[in-house]
Parts: sequence; structure tokens; C-alpha cells
Amino acid sequence: MSATNAPAATCPFSGDTGTPAPSSENLRDSVVPGLPQTSAGVEAPVADWVTIPDLYADPFPIYQRMRSESPVHWVPAVNRYMVTSYAACHEIEQDEDRFSADEKNSLMKRSMGHSMLRKDNPEHQVDRDSYGSTLRPGTIKKHWNEIFAANNEKYLGELLAKGPGADFVWDYAAPYTAENLRLICGFHNATQEDLQRWSQTMIDGTGNYADDPDVWDKSAASSAEVDAAIDEMLPLLAKNPDNSLLSGLASLPIPLEAIRANLKMTIGGGLNEPRDVLATTVWALLNHSDQLEAVKKNPKLHATAFEESVRWVAPIGMYPRETTQDVVLEGVSLPQGSRLGVVLGAANRDPEVFEDPEAFNIFRPKKPHLGFGGGVHFCAGTWIARAQVAQIAMPALFERIPDLRLDPSAVSVDAGWVFRGMTKMPVTWG
Amino acid sequence: MPTITFTQPTGEATEIAVAEGTSLMRAAVTNGVEGIVGECGGQAMCATCHIYVRPEFADQLPPISDDEDEMLDCTTAERTDASRLGCQVKMTDQLSSIVVDVPSDQE
Repeated sequence: MSATNAPAATCPFSGDTGTPAPSSENLRDSVVPGLPQTSAGVEAPVADWVTIPDLYADPFPIYQRMRSESPVHWVPAVNRYMVTSYAACHEIEQDEDRFSADEKNSLMKRSMGHSMLRKDNPEHQVDRDSYGSTLRPGTIKKHWNEIFAANNEKYLGELLAKGPGADFVWDYAAPYTAENLRLICGFHNATQEDLQRWSQTMIDGTGNYADDPDVWDKSAASSAEVDAAIDEMLPLLAKNPDNSLLSGLASLPIPLEAIRANLKMTIGGGLNEPRDVLATTVWALLNHSDQLEAVKKNPKLHATAFEESVRWVAPIGMYPRETTQDVVLEGVSLPQGSRLGVVLGAANRDPEVFEDPEAFNIFRPKKPHLGFGGGVHFCAGTWIARAQVAQIAMPALFERIPDLRLDPSAVSVDAGWVFRGMTKMPVTWG
Repeated sequence: MPTITFTQPTGEATEIAVAEGTSLMRAAVTNGVEGIVGECGGQAMCATCHIYVRPEFADQLPPISDDEDEMLDCTTAERTDASRLGCQVKMTDQLSSIVVDVPSDQE
């Protein structure tokens, strides 16, 4: 294969200009989506020893035990089947005919409305297409990177002004990603603090398995605020269009109900996830000085560290699916209407696929992780996250604060399982 | 039925018969062709179904859209004039018997 006439374009994320490199290894050829499963499977074992507080504190030892026993368990504490092997999670992602995203009694639908994340095709694709090119690499390169860089400068400045002992998450990563998201969405009538409050309260609703009325009240209040903000912005952006999602939606024949639900989903996923990846990646690097030094010497490794971090601690650790028919999944039989949790956080540490999977190692062989999901619901914000975290924030951070380190006098806390990230990360320098 | 031949860097070739309208990516993933991942399910969002189309079929291919073009800049293996995303090339009568090369996974 000759590269003599190869276009000279550069990938805005990896910085690669077409150096021959290994392609992603194929891990999927054992999976043949869509074929009818005729053989009877075994019943899923019951994991009655799994508790939500244990999952919240550290799910990974639990996932290790579950994966070693069976790819699928019934977990009474979570009231659904949990799917923990890479092969089984991947099979689900690639087959929306048997594994529907349109879950009944969905807490997310109650909290945020019926967004594209809980629709199957063809309905899902109409909503997805309505986001146009706002989140795609071309628009990021032409438009968003400059805005992300300015926001990063501002919030890095605030972190430095706060001084050693500041919290990396709450004094930098959260406001930075919230401000980026505010502009991507087109909420020119709100603040980044509003975005943070909306995101957290509606996500809390999405995870309100305990049916706490206070959680529902706060979620509903934010939902109403978002509706009002959208109603105000749509006519303004129709007259004065920009590159935002709401601006694109203002000129499309998309029902207002869908716009509202999709924006709420985007507020949830577009803030906490890049925030958590940024903090987790930096936390991991600060705990592995050899890898940190390698990244500082070779800027291309920012993108590598980002991907390894998403594999190591998937910020969305589990999402739901529902079987549309009786199925046999990796040898386990599941009746029609079964509620499944697709546990990406476990699949990404499957030793069948990743060598020494529990270790954060940016030098590991490149293999596709499932952190962004797959199939038609592949994360629409993937490239936005790569850009704002790996391309803009991380290089500037280590240049401005080369001696950034974890504060030895205070403890960092990583927590969560459905969503996982740093909840406390005091840092110091100087 | 039109056929697609996927040629691996080792020279090993797999011929697959597919229905018209099937994309090269879907044909590869459904039949377990090594080296084609197709993570995003065909939305030109992930660049993991990169293939090289043999030049004799070039003028029968659909044009490269802006979405495909920007994603081809982000492929892992080098982009050449023959590069396409498998998800954006759907089988037609004109493409019957198309031959494509799967990118090398050799360092």
C-alpha cells in the first residue's frame, strides 16, 4: 500500500499525520450479532452477596469475582441482571433488536424525559441526526478548541489563585467542563454553576433507586429550569445562530419534548463524564510518576493516557438494556423483558481481553475498550471529550503547573459505580 | 448477490456474499473479518472500520462526505488515497466483486 499521495491532514486529537501504526486488534470476531440463538443456556447465578455500598466504594474486586463465575448474574440488590464480561457487553451493544435501550419504568425517562439514549432506531437516529455537526471533529477543530483553550486558561487561573490545597475536581475540572458544555449547548442565559446544579440533580434522579422524594423534587426543579432556559434561547438563536446544539435545533422540525429530553441527557453526560475523566486521568498520572514523565516528554501520550483512563475507570460504569425476546447471552438464558445492566466498568477490565487489567498502564497494547459504548448509541460526545480533556486541558495543565502533585496532607477519594470519578482530590504545587 | 473480498495484510482473502445495500463494515463485522471493529455501528463517528479500496473500483465509489473525510484523518493506520470508512460504502451492482485491503496491524 503506497502512501505517496496520502493527504497531509492531521488528526486534531492524536496529532497523527498518518504514520503507519497497528490497527485496532480485532477482538470481536467471535461475536456474530443478530443470529438467532437456538441452544438453551444455563440460568444466571444469583449474586446475593453484592451490595450497593460495596459497589459504590470499590466495584472492581466485586467485578473480578463476578466475571470469574459467570458473564451474567442476577443481582437482587440492584434488581437487575449485571453483565460483566467483555464479550457479553459487546454482543449487547451491537444488537439493538434483541437488547432494547427503551427500558420500561426508566428512572432516566422520569428524571430527564425520553431522550435518544432510551430510544431504539429508527426513532433514535432522528434525534441523533438533529445534533448535526456540532459535536463532530471538524466543528471542534474550527470552532470549539479555541473556546475550550480560553475557558481552560480562565479556570486554571482560578485554581492557581486558590493556591496549594485547592481541589482539582471542584476548583478546576468541574467549572471548566461545565463552562464548555454551557457554550456547546447554547445556554447563553445560564451560568456554569447552573449547568453543574442541573447536571447533578437530574443525574441523582436517574439513579434514584431508593425513590427519595427530596431527590425527585430537586430533579424536577432543575428539569423545569432547563425547560424555561430552552424556551427562552430557541427564538433568540433562531434569529442569531451560532455553533451550539440549541442553535441547530432551533431551525429543525424536532418536537420540543425531544429537544428538552435530549438536552437534559446532554447536560448529564456532557459535564460529569469529561470532568471525571480529566480528574481520574490526572490522579492516575500523579500516582504513576514514570508514566507522568513519559507524557510530559511526549505530548502525543496525552491522548493515550486519556483512552487508558477511560478503559481503567469508565466514567459511566453501567447502563441499562432490556431484552425484547428470550435470549441466550454467552451461555446464560435470559427471558424476554429482562432488565440488564451492561457493566462497562467490568468489561474494560476483563482479563480475557486486557493483560494485567487492574493496572493503569499507558504503555499497554492498544485494544478497543468499551468506555464510550458501542453500536448506534456510541457516545456522541466522544470527540468533544477527547478534545477538551486530552488536547486542551492536560497539556496546558502540566505546562502551567509542572510540579503539580497530590496533596500529601489530605486524602483523595474515588467513588461510584454507575458513575465513577474523583469526589475529592486536593492538590498542591510549589 | 454481490461479493466483497477482504484481503488481510498476510495475503489471506475472505470472500463474502452480501445483500445489496449492506455496508462493507456491517458485512465484515457480521462475518467476523479480522481488523474491522465498527465500534460506532456505522455513523462515521469512530474510524475503526478503515479499509483501503483497490484502485480499479475507485470511480464506482460514492463521494466522501465531510463527516467521513474528517474521520479519515483520525484513523490508526495511515490514510491514503484509497482510504474509506467501510460503514460509508454500501454494496451496489456497480461494486459487485469489490476487493478491499484491511489495514495492517504490524508495527
